[in-house]
Amino acid sequence: MAIYILRRLGYGLLVMLLVVTTISGIIFLAPVDPAQLTFGQRSDVSTVEAKTAELGLDQPLYMQLLHYLKDISPVSLEPDKADHLRKYRYHTLFRVGNEQLLVLKLPYLRESYQTGRPVSEILAEVIPATALLAFTALLLASLLGIFFGIVAALKAHSRWDQLISVISVFGYSLPSYVTAMLLALIFGYMLGAWTGLDIQGSLFVIDDFGDWQLRWQNLILPALALGLRPVALITQLTRSAMLDVLSQDYVRTATAKGIPARIVVVKHALRNALNPIVSAISGWFAALLTGAFFVENVFNFKGLGAATVTALLNFDIPVVLGCVLFTSVVFVVINLLADLLYAWLDPRVVMR
Amino acid sequence: MPKILDVKNLSVHFASPQGHTQAVDRVSFHLDQGETLGIVGESGSGKSVTALSIMRLLPSPPAGISSEAITLYPRDGGSKEIEISTLGESEMQRLRGAEIAMIFQEPMTSLNPVFRCGDQVTEAIRLHQKVDAEAARKQTLLLFEKVRLPDPERIFRSYPHQISGGQKQRVMIAMAMSCKPGILIADEPTTALDVTVQKAILDLMRELKEESGLSMLFISHDLGVISDICDRVLVMYQGKIVEEGPVQKILRNPEHPYTRGLVACRPSLKHKWHRMPTVSDFLDNSRHEAQVVSADETEQRRKSLYDSDPLLQVKDMLVRFPAEKNWLGRPVKWLNAVDRVSFDVFQGETFGLAGESGCGKTTLGKAIARLTDMDSGQIIYNGTALHDLSIEAFKPYRRDIQVVFQDPYSSLNPRMAIGRAIMEPMQVHKRFDSDKQRREKAVELLETVGLQADQFQRYPHEFSGGQRQRICIARALALEPRFLVCDEIVSALDVSVQATVLNLLADLQEKYGLTYLFISHDLSVIKQMCDRLLVMNKGKVEAVGYPEDIFRNPEREYVRELIAAIPGKE
Repeated sequence: MAIYILRRLGYGLLVMLLVVTTISGIIFLAPVDPAQLTFGQRSDVSTVEAKTAELGLDQPLYMQLLHYLKDISPVSLEPDKADHLRKYRYHTLFRVGNEQLLVLKLPYLRESYQTGRPVSEILAEVIPATALLAFTALLLASLLGIFFGIVAALKAHSRWDQLISVISVFGYSLPSYVTAMLLALIFGYMLGAWTGLDIQGSLFVIDDFGDWQLRWQNLILPALALGLRPVALITQLTRSAMLDVLSQDYVRTATAKGIPARIVVVKHALRNALNPIVSAISGWFAALLTGAFFVENVFNFKGLGAATVTALLNFDIPVVLGCVLFTSVVFVVINLLADLLYAWLDPRVVMR
Repeated sequence: MPKILDVKNLSVHFASPQGHTQAVDRVSFHLDQGETLGIVGESGSGKSVTALSIMRLLPSPPAGISSEAITLYPRDGGSKEIEISTLGESEMQRLRGAEIAMIFQEPMTSLNPVFRCGDQVTEAIRLHQKVDAEAARKQTLLLFEKVRLPDPERIFRSYPHQISGGQKQRVMIAMAMSCKPGILIADEPTTALDVTVQKAILDLMRELKEESGLSMLFISHDLGVISDICDRVLVMYQGKIVEEGPVQKILRNPEHPYTRGLVACRPSLKHKWHRMPTVSDFLDNSRHEAQVVSADETEQRRKSLYDSDPLLQVKDMLVRFPAEKNWLGRPVKWLNAVDRVSFDVFQGETFGLAGESGCGKTTLGKAIARLTDMDSGQIIYNGTALHDLSIEAFKPYRRDIQVVFQDPYSSLNPRMAIGRAIMEPMQVHKRFDSDKQRREKAVELLETVGLQADQFQRYPHEFSGGQRQRICIARALALEPRFLVCDEIVSALDVSVQATVLNLLADLQEKYGLTYLFISHDLSVIKQMCDRLLVMNKGKVEAVGYPEDIFRNPEREYVRELIAAIPGKE
């Protein structure tokens, strides 16, 4: 088990390495000069050249990549110079030779070309809001989807089943930004006075006194908008998995030993039907954490999606890399968790 | 003996868009206290549907159940009768498991794979007896001991996939007995099990019944099993009870033509038929007297068979699978599926390969057809060392050596018309120049195996199990093989259908001079079909020789047990 997890994390590292390499390769090919971008219109040749050297942009691509990898590695060998080590949050493990230190450090994601703020700070600002949004949306989607799926399976081929099918196909075909705009329009604007919801707004807002405030109500509409398609998908998956399981011999056995129908469905059948649902939910969760851009944009909700796209538009390479790196970490971790969950749900799954 | 269950005029039909099927047609019977009543019949005769409708386990719709009365009488001589057909669902739920319990055919799928075996039994106990978890656990362990499960504590903690098929059926029996029901309905409880396991389970059920005064309704397609365990038997055919009476009377003096056919079509251990009698022989009254193969005829056949050199020689075949792997994925422990087995097969011979599931017989068959790799050993076919050939050089031999598999339901592609399926191997091996010729050949083959030319465009789901197995045989014959590996090809079929397929194989052998490697777990079928047989156990050879020698005088204990376990020997 421990070996399995370690090996999976090893593969995960490989995935992240590939992601970083590919993304940097693509970005560095783009015909822009980041050093120039940093200064905008105030640039003159000498400052730009100095900045280029400082950022290491005059070095060959593979050197730039290696430097970046060294920056994000939690363990690395660094020269013992104060102005070099200043940017890291580190802990010295031991000294290597006279001038080198082996340090344990937080991955250093560099600073934004645009604002000069550390990328980790930018991420820390947007991730909680997006994570909360994705989590709420998916919790909602799972509960509703599994419920509707079970109802549809139990009443298969009835009016209820058909109604649920039609609604879920409709829900699935609706792009999330359309849903988002509709929800904003109806509940934020037209019924705004009654619902008390705003058309737009972030989870964390600065109020008139300059303090950060948590606005829970701003979570409702984006979560609904994001959750609608997963609800539709999970409903359909649950329906077909449950139909399959309900015709299994062991469900008949459970009924034959006198277990009430409700318990047969929830305990004996649902647990066997959960695997495809878990894989859908985990995939979607990872995607929502990172790709909620459209919905975030509609509601002007400051999250990871918005941050990534802004950075892309500005060629703010460190921020882009930071966002992408975080995304890949999320995917690796969630996939691992999902696999562990499979094994917990179904003892026949062997982890090798 | 007082009655415990009385069924009057039970009818079940299934409604579907295609129409209305009468599965059970006005069936009446009763079950006495302490009696074991058998229901025998082929698949589709309505025997399982009858049992399931007593328990009300049929989904309705599509099932429509009607009955004059299904009455459950009290066990202790009290006067409170229960009319099952008028019970509400929640009353029915209290009855299930507590008064009438049921065990099913497939122990592999009848236990919930995600719960521990022990928990599945305690669940029933806690539900019906309102005891706490610890008491239920103790009861379960006692029950496991009673059904003679080894190491009850371990089985309690095990998940169903971690124990064997026989053990699963014992868990099912423990579950069914857990609330001390008055009636146990057993729906083909041993059909999916090996003969020796079947015998042990039947012994156990008989014992439990005697101990607890249980009444049993025992459903099976196998008259042998029925005769081993039942007092009285109902014969069902096309939804009706056609005959009823004490088991011995039915076996000796069957009256209805269907019953007579059913009794006759079982392969006999006493003698070998020229042609197996079939049920349809009896039903249309066109019965020819079944002829026994005489000792002289056997002698003659052997002379002609064993005169020449062997067609296939297997020498020291070893096939092993990794049993345990280290963390790098490298195997550290091996399981020898076929452990240095040697034998010869002669041209025109039917060579039987017998043994229980997991003994390596299927692996051996696959290795000969090169569907699985051999670790060491030799396969010499018609003078050529097959084991030395590259995949490319082996290709012509694939035409010569064909395989027919066990499950006719999954070995045909459901989306391919059966005619196409028969043509496909000819296309792959470029037999004939045009599809027109191949089509003609396919039609000819369909007719050879007893199907019609106009069924060419039909799809597999439109055929019965026996017909599908015929299609698979036709497909194997499409390349004009000389050597056919028949891997349990009649195991999934009803006894009555089995006889017709066996007759077909015999006809084909005569017509084309085919050589068969006939793999089966059923010794009586092997004895009927084979010139010689080899008994395998755990990958090793236990016995090899002429059937009569092995049956009359088994040298090894294992072979003796195997023969003793054949059900329905008189």
